[in-house]
Amino acid sequence: MGDWPPQAEAMAIWHRLVDGDPVAPSDLAVAYLDPLAGWLTASSPAIDPALCQTAAEDAILALITRPEAYHPERAALDTYLRVAARGDLKNAIDAETRRRSRTAAIDAVELSPAVRNRLHDDDADPARIVELAETVRERVGQAALPAGVSEGLSAGDREVLALMRVRERRTELYARAMGILHLPIDEQRRQVKRAKDRLNKRLERARE
Amino acid sequence: MSDRIAHLADRVRADPFFLASALDVYARSEGIGDAALAERLGCEVETLARLALCRRPAAERFLADVEAIAERFGIDATELAAVVRRADVLEVLSRGMGASGTLMAARDREES
Repeated sequence: MGDWPPQAEAMAIWHRLVDGDPVAPSDLAVAYLDPLAGWLTASSPAIDPALCQTAAEDAILALITRPEAYHPERAALDTYLRVAARGDLKNAIDAETRRRSRTAAIDAVELSPAVRNRLHDDDADPARIVELAETVRERVGQAALPAGVSEGLSAGDREVLALMRVRERRTELYARAMGILHLPIDEQRRQVKRAKDRLNKRLERARE
Repeated sequence: MSDRIAHLADRVRADPFFLASALDVYARSEGIGDAALAERLGCEVETLARLALCRRPAAERFLADVEAIAERFGIDATELAAVVRRADVLEVLSRGMGASGTLMAARDREES
């Protein structure tokens, strides 16, 4: 992992970015990409390093194209980039979780014969598969979910609920949905269990 | 140069904000790879990634931007200017191409 540049050097690069110096974007990337991607990878050991690299790139590219978004009086540049990269990583994980939960829905839901035939007939078309999976998931959800259960739930809770309803068992998928993959695995298990218990109680209350 | 910088330079190849876009258009038009492009510009292949991550010279201060980049990386400013100008022209032409791949004819009257 590379060293973080001193704040004085950071400020010089940032001022050049703001002034439109054509070399400043390259200097910023060279100075910060290695330490930022290295830090993100080291602080998120359970996350795919490629996702960390992309998140670090996203944070740097965002600063290059909108340098005025950074306010030097509020934080050091490396702090700003760490927060931005962490946010970009969370967004990437959320997107990956949504993609995986769609796949889980395809695998776990028992399809009606009509839908199964259609899926079989069209299974060479990925777009069609995703569309069918959404339809099946939606119908199963509408059929069995008591009214009001999902009202007021956060996006993370809704993902957890969707995973529970397709009987997903892998802690990793729940942890991704909850944005807690950076925590130790025991803590992930504890928090996932608490979330599932809470949502199960909510379901029970709604059914009463 | 780190692999991460090379990866980022590759990622922004289609982004017109970056010089990478002009280098890519030029290299493809000439059918040349990194080695030949570096030779044309008078730099090492390893320098191309850092060069690609520079901001593409702005029209209103083209020469100043080209000179700043060339000076920083010790490359030939005239060659760099020619590469970027060629890319500019090719991009304008490609925007004027019809679906059939032919250049669209100029309209001889205003559309109503």
